[in-house]
Amino acid sequence: MPALLPPADVAVSLIQVAKSYGDVEVLQPFDLQVAEGEFVVLLGPSGCGKSTILKMIAGLEEASHGEIHVAGALVNYVRPRDRNVAMVFQNYALYPHLTVRENIAFPLTMRRRPRLKRSVVNERTVAAAEIVDLAPYLDRKPAQLSGGQRQRVALARAIVRQPAAFLMDEPLSNLDALLRADMRTSLLDVHSRIKKATLYVTHDQVEAMTMADRVVVLNDGLIQQIGKPDELFNAPANTFVAQFIGSPRMPLHTIAVDDGMLVFGGASLAIEASVRLEPGAVITVGLRPSALRVTDAAKACFVGTVTRRYYLGSDSYLEVELDTGPAVMVRAEADTPLGAGDSVYVAAGPGAIHLFDETGTRLCGAWVRPLAR
Amino acid sequence: MTVLRPSGSQRREATSTGRERGSAVRTTRSAISLSYVVLLVGVAIALVPFLYVVSTSMKETTSLFSYPPDWIPSPIYWGNFESLFADHPFVRWTLNTLFVAGTVTGLKLWFDSMAGYALAKMEFSGKRGVALLFLLSVAIPISALIIPLFFVVRYLGLLNTYWALILPPLANPLGIFMARSFIVHIPEDLESSARLDGASEFTIYRKIVLPLIRPGLVVLGMFTFMLQYTSFIWPLIAVQDSERQVIAVGISGLHSAFLQDWGLLSAAMLLAAIPITVVFLLIQKAFVINDLSGALKE
Repeated sequence: MPALLPPADVAVSLIQVAKSYGDVEVLQPFDLQVAEGEFVVLLGPSGCGKSTILKMIAGLEEASHGEIHVAGALVNYVRPRDRNVAMVFQNYALYPHLTVRENIAFPLTMRRRPRLKRSVVNERTVAAAEIVDLAPYLDRKPAQLSGGQRQRVALARAIVRQPAAFLMDEPLSNLDALLRADMRTSLLDVHSRIKKATLYVTHDQVEAMTMADRVVVLNDGLIQQIGKPDELFNAPANTFVAQFIGSPRMPLHTIAVDDGMLVFGGASLAIEASVRLEPGAVITVGLRPSALRVTDAAKACFVGTVTRRYYLGSDSYLEVELDTGPAVMVRAEADTPLGAGDSVYVAAGPGAIHLFDETGTRLCGAWVRPLAR
Repeated sequence: MTVLRPSGSQRREATSTGRERGSAVRTTRSAISLSYVVLLVGVAIALVPFLYVVSTSMKETTSLFSYPPDWIPSPIYWGNFESLFADHPFVRWTLNTLFVAGTVTGLKLWFDSMAGYALAKMEFSGKRGVALLFLLSVAIPISALIIPLFFVVRYLGLLNTYWALILPPLANPLGIFMARSFIVHIPEDLESSARLDGASEFTIYRKIVLPLIRPGLVVLGMFTFMLQYTSFIWPLIAVQDSERQVIAVGISGLHSAFLQDWGLLSAAMLLAAIPITVVFLLIQKAFVINDLSGALKE
């Protein structure tokens, strides 16, 4: 059955695309549409299939099922060079024997119909180099450049093609932390200037949250959730997303519904009226560390004892063993005097508590009333 | 100004450290001296026969067997060289050899690198079978192939032609395996990137892969050229015409059943070594350039 054609403002559209190698299914059927100018990040642990999605769009891997559209055209059976996409690889994939100028110009010199004039090639090469601040290095070889500069050459080589979409496969993962932060800014700056649809693969949630218009979270070949960064953080679709997004990691605990009540850490949890909980059902409770705060007795939701303190510079996180419950992570001031053995009162702010059913799927958020003392 | 004097234990420590350093220096010096001696012996073993050939080539055969031997010919006798050029088609043999060895080397580098690329980077049905077949054919000794090869070449009517010298060596698959091993290590992302950039399979091979495996190809080229330059058995069988003969067979024909003209033979060997030395010196540059570029961390 032919699938629906994607709307005109969609740069890349994947309709029921799946990938398997023999009997091994590495990507289960999924739909994804990337709008013109949108920056979509594919986020997931190693081996979850995110790079395979990029390779299928680029034509380097064949989709086992489904349709891939680029700029409105079905490209499943189109050669990689004719798909109108440009890819930036993790290890730069620069041609070491060519200069920066030749590297950037390579896609233009390969173009057959129409063959571009040398002056046009040169003009577009210089323009692409200027966008990524590489104009002074055009006559150098890749070996004479730093890691960040090499990555910018790879970016310029993609830009020079003026493609319908950019595919970036963990382009910053080979760089050190400082350079990665700089390059993240440079990439966003370039994206805001050229405004092309971009699919960006990473396993770094900070990169995903800071760069993306939308994030696609993958695990084990299955899309877990597609949403804006704040949606993923505030309303994770399942326990995987809840734990994958956010640092420190959200601790999960299971409790049983008792007489229509949910009690966690000695406190009663309130949930949306629309959500019905079956008596005896086992519920997973996730507590977002950044929304749990050290407070005074009047505002306390939980009481516990600090077992460990993690200093992060801007904040400190305390591992707190609740008096009537398991351990949770609680955010505190960076210079908090609290340490192991101290008793603390913990307040749960908005978005602190998330409930999931037995399969790990999100039920709703929950609130807890401050303890009456 | 306060002068800090070392304590007794410090002095003892310093002295013992100095002693250790002195012993290490002595060990290093004796190791270096020993290595020089070993190297000099090695150089002598390698050079003496060559110098003897040089000396012999400039002497008349009658004065060759004087005792003690005269290392420096007096007077220098150029007659061996004159005879080589006047009485034998030595220039022709050299040109034939250079032509055959050069053609075989060029064609082999081209074919082997293309076949190596296909085996290393392309997917096609029967790939494993083809690789296995090549591997098996490497294991067959050349002497076992000579008679069937002779019949094939005769059947094709190629005996006594340059083709008889050029075509059979092209079928040696060893170079394919060497080329494959160079190519297989080129990161896949480079080809993928080139493919996305619009390069055809042949362009990827020519513009990306070939420049990157150049150091390996230089080695393969040198190896092939030397093998062909010194090739003896097959040209002896395949070519009888002296005008089409190669240098190794030509020189062997200078032997006479009754009289060995060692002066003539030495002159021929000396001259035969010149082209291959020149080729090696020219290619040596490529060795050095590529060694340095390979040493840089990418």
